[in-house]
Amino acid sequence: MSELVVRGLEKSFDGTQVLRGLDLDVPAGSLAAVLGPSGCGKTTLLRVVAGFEIADAGTVTVGGAVVAARGIHLPPERRRVGVVPQEGALFPHLDVAGNVGFGLPRSAHRAARVGELLELVGLLGYGDRMPYELSGGQQQRVALARALAPDPALVLLDEPFNALDTGLRAAVREDVCSALRTAGATAVLVTHDQEEALSMADLVAVMAAGRIAQAAPPGELYTAPSDLGVATFVGDAVVLDAVATSAGADSPLGKLELYDSGVRGPGRVVVRPEQVVLSNAANGVVGTVTGTVFYGHDAVVRVSVSAPGGHVPVAARCQGLPPGVVIGDTVGLRVVGPVTFFPAA
Amino acid sequence: MRHRRLLAAMLPVPALVLAACGGTDETAAGVDESALVVYSGRQEALVQPIIDDFTEETGIEVSVRYGNTAQLAAQIIEEGDRTPADVYFAQDGGALGALAKEGMLEELPANLLDTVDPRYRAEDGTWIGTSGRARVIVYDPDQLTEDEVPDSVFELTDPRWKGKVGVAPSNASFEAFVTAIRVLEGEDVAREWLDGMAANDVQLFDNNVLILNAAEDGIIALGLINHYYWYEQVAEEGLDAVPARLKFLPDGDPGALVNVAGVGVLAATDRDDDALRFAEYLLGESAQTFFADVTKEYPLIAGIPLAEGLPPLDSLQSPDIDLSDLDTLEETLQMIEEAGLT
Amino acid sequence: MAVPRTLVRMPGAAAGGGRRQRPPLVLVVPALVAAGVALLPLAYLVVRSLDGGLGEFVETLWRERTLRLTLRSLGLAVSVTIACLVIGITLAWLTTRAKLPGRAGWAVVVALPLAVPSYVAAYTWLAAFPTIPPFVGSVLVLTLCCYPYVLLPVAAMLLRSDPALEEVARSLGRGRMATFLSVTLRQVRPAAAVGALLVALYVLSDFGAVAILRFDVFTRVIYTSYRSSFDGTAAAALGLVLVAITSAIVWAEGRSRGRASQARIGSGAPRRLRTVALGRSGTAAGLGFAIVVAGLALAFPLGSLTYWLVQGGAAELDLAALGGAAVSTIAVSALGAVLTTVLAIPVGVLAARYRMRHVRAIEQASYAGHALPGIVVALSLVFFGVRYAYPIYQRTPLLVLAYAVLFLPAAVGAVRASVAQSPPMLEEIARSLGRSPGRVLRDVTLPLAGPGVAAGAALVFLTCMKELPATLLLRPTGLETLATELWAETEVAAYAAAAPYATLLVLLAALPTFLLGHRRRSVTLDVHGGGA
Repeated sequence: MSELVVRGLEKSFDGTQVLRGLDLDVPAGSLAAVLGPSGCGKTTLLRVVAGFEIADAGTVTVGGAVVAARGIHLPPERRRVGVVPQEGALFPHLDVAGNVGFGLPRSAHRAARVGELLELVGLLGYGDRMPYELSGGQQQRVALARALAPDPALVLLDEPFNALDTGLRAAVREDVCSALRTAGATAVLVTHDQEEALSMADLVAVMAAGRIAQAAPPGELYTAPSDLGVATFVGDAVVLDAVATSAGADSPLGKLELYDSGVRGPGRVVVRPEQVVLSNAANGVVGTVTGTVFYGHDAVVRVSVSAPGGHVPVAARCQGLPPGVVIGDTVGLRVVGPVTFFPAA
Repeated sequence: MRHRRLLAAMLPVPALVLAACGGTDETAAGVDESALVVYSGRQEALVQPIIDDFTEETGIEVSVRYGNTAQLAAQIIEEGDRTPADVYFAQDGGALGALAKEGMLEELPANLLDTVDPRYRAEDGTWIGTSGRARVIVYDPDQLTEDEVPDSVFELTDPRWKGKVGVAPSNASFEAFVTAIRVLEGEDVAREWLDGMAANDVQLFDNNVLILNAAEDGIIALGLINHYYWYEQVAEEGLDAVPARLKFLPDGDPGALVNVAGVGVLAATDRDDDALRFAEYLLGESAQTFFADVTKEYPLIAGIPLAEGLPPLDSLQSPDIDLSDLDTLEETLQMIEEAGLT
Repeated sequence: MAVPRTLVRMPGAAAGGGRRQRPPLVLVVPALVAAGVALLPLAYLVVRSLDGGLGEFVETLWRERTLRLTLRSLGLAVSVTIACLVIGITLAWLTTRAKLPGRAGWAVVVALPLAVPSYVAAYTWLAAFPTIPPFVGSVLVLTLCCYPYVLLPVAAMLLRSDPALEEVARSLGRGRMATFLSVTLRQVRPAAAVGALLVALYVLSDFGAVAILRFDVFTRVIYTSYRSSFDGTAAAALGLVLVAITSAIVWAEGRSRGRASQARIGSGAPRRLRTVALGRSGTAAGLGFAIVVAGLALAFPLGSLTYWLVQGGAAELDLAALGGAAVSTIAVSALGAVLTTVLAIPVGVLAARYRMRHVRAIEQASYAGHALPGIVVALSLVFFGVRYAYPIYQRTPLLVLAYAVLFLPAAVGAVRASVAQSPPMLEEIARSLGRSPGRVLRDVTLPLAGPGVAAGAALVFLTCMKELPATLLLRPTGLETLATELWAETEVAAYAAAAPYATLLVLLAALPTFLLGHRRRSVTLDVHGGGA
């Protein structure tokens, strides 16, 4: 097992800079998710690490070996980096066993190794099927087995669950996760789906504007985002103007408890919708209901709260739709638990 | 998997192809490295029997490359000193003249040259005619009598013949004939004649046979062709089956031009003796008889019987012209083109 | 969580954008070799046109005739190309998308005229209609011989393109005709452009038909120029003009192809093609069109040949010569197809995968020989062969090389199109699994492109069989092919004697053509099966 170290990576296409000095560390044996909106450059990062693109600057080290640096560009076939692309991209002219065994040397052990991997991804006995005879989820699992077969130092997964149905996605995701852990592989998953990133990864790296804004375990990322951008990108967020004091932050939602940052003065706080509790109270902080969205397992109630200089929108997440809440009602709001404060620049 | 193996097998192919060709083609083509190489602008059917006889008689193997006279000349010039050709057998004197001008033909010995009338060989002795063909007018006797057929091609621009005359302007014989007009009568007369023919709605054909057929079918009243097309057809089908008739023009009219096929020996050859023997053989009795019998051409040495009904060569009132002067083809082509006869 | 899921796909992923990697040497080196080979005639033309000094060169070009020839050649090429586009696209649509009775059979029949050499067709038309005007005759004959160059790629494109687009257009209120014009034609544009390019280049380089029908264009004048002056300077200068015209056309085609990628990376769901019912009058019109085209392009020349065959009688038939010519024809043509395809593979793969300036230059260089008349290509190889490759001069390898120079574009086009159909991601994955670029080519790229590449080889094979001028000049002394025997007989206007050779040539050439017409379905299946 090997770690991935990326330093100062830069890459431009036709004068447009896509990667702008990107740093990333993925410890050996862990599954990291690179999370970012479409167009932020995360696929480019993956392609540079795989060796499909040549970086303009920066270094890529896999398991201690420099694979890309100034003047060094190890071709993809010598990097020991496996890739699971979007939609699988199985070789249509080879059967499943042919696909899985593609990266293996011809030897007596090849068939055994193919069987091993098919078992790992739960497709034992599918070896002689052709790709078009497989479902989308099966194709993804074969693609993973193919990438794992040569025992790569690192596996890169490029939005591998994108093309799958919602129902199938969760199941395949779990299978892939467990297969990766069983194989003990170091893996980097590129995705724009924060649920996917937060639920699967040991480490989530949020990418914005060609850089990693923050890389941290999922829980830490959610509760302690490093900046407002990360905070609003990862999870829903209510952003409010506030003034931090030693007793907490003064905000349109009242005085809020802070994760201790030691910072004082004007700035903004990030409140997660699930921290906002609604009540019938007519005193304290109140607001007017402007809309409700029902999701089944929970619901979001949008409330307009008056603040100095106008109204601010606030979202509250509830267990089920609270009975009797209709648009135009006046409700009380209360924030539970500490919030994150970002001082004004 | 199937494709994969197929294509994998194809990758090392270039080397293989070359190796395979190199290995097989001599045997496939039956080429003998030691053979005398003849480039022939004349047809295989008209040449191969002579060559077979030659080999039988002399024991000299001959390998013949058949092609178009002009194309072969261009090829020899391109090949230069390294040409594999020892002998060039051409359909007309112009192509031989072009090679001579490039200094690629060697001078033939006087005793060979002397067998042929000086009119039918190169003045500098670099090539010699092997057989002759006369320009004639073919006509449809249902439309006109022999007397009504003009005595000169210059009458053909008369409105009387509007739309009734056929020529094959891209045919080498026609081009040589136009060149003869230029040489004999001058550029202006030639241009005037071509323009007059064009204005007179002359009918254009791809070759002499089509003109002959058109005259037989009455599509045209008369046409300009070489004599042997008619004699061949008569020999094949009988006189009764060929309704058209020929008129040999009198008084040295350009329309009575006699042109020749000829042979030259390449200066680059290292087999002078064999090459010369081949040239001599073409002017020997058996080859000359073959030309007279099979192709109905004029033999160029004395004492060979002519095709039936063919007037003797020296009875023809052909124009007095040095055939080597017919090498200014380019100007002729341009003139034909400018007259719109294409 | 209620974050809206974006539907926009990542740019620069598998499909399009940034392949900025340098193309591997394993492709570049052989591609350069192929381009170099294709450029030999051009080098020769430059050497020869300057032979007579710059003055003569300029003088040759600076004549009113040059302009006139340019206009005539372009006029012929444009007329034939337009006619081929109309006929080819119509027949392609009729045989793929319409409920035409006997559609599968027609698909094969309408491709068969590719097997008829243009000079054979020209002879049959001239023999039947001696007074046919040169321009009309040339357009007619060349159109009937060339429209399959448009038909085949367009039909393949129609078979694999997405009918859903047309259905959407219909559902948006467009009529059938409007849909055809606005959607279908747009879909087939890249394929039609490739076909049109091949037609235009063929017309510019064709000598047989225009010579027989007496239509003065560059090739015919170049030929007569060689014939009349022998020194070749004028001919070479005119040849250079022809190359310039070709370059302009190739460049224009490249522009029209533009950035539209032919790769479709779908979910791989096999789509069943739906055909359109034509209605009674539509069916009659469709059938009538197919019958008329097939009748003129196929039945007429075959009928004429049969008539001459019968006239000639079996007695004169020299079976040994006929058989020998057939065997050598197949042998040299097969070698020509193999070498051409092998040279075309690196160029085609590069062109499909690496859109860079120097790659485009290599691709365009490979088109150089195609527009030149066979005699120019042949003479250039005489020139270089005698000087630098004497051991293979007038040996099969040099002839095979001439075929490669002449027919490289058809093979390059086939390779490029079939490689472009499979996503580049597959090759990258193969690299990441430890395969070197060369082995990726062998194990992934070529197997996937296999059917298309084979189709290109078949096309080259049949074109080699029909080739005449280069065969005449470069064949080993004593080797006769069907085309040279045919030429020898027609040279003396012995149509009856020529008929057996012409007939056998057409029949032999019909075999690969048949496969080309027939194969279309399997190619589509391959494409649909892939990309999962």
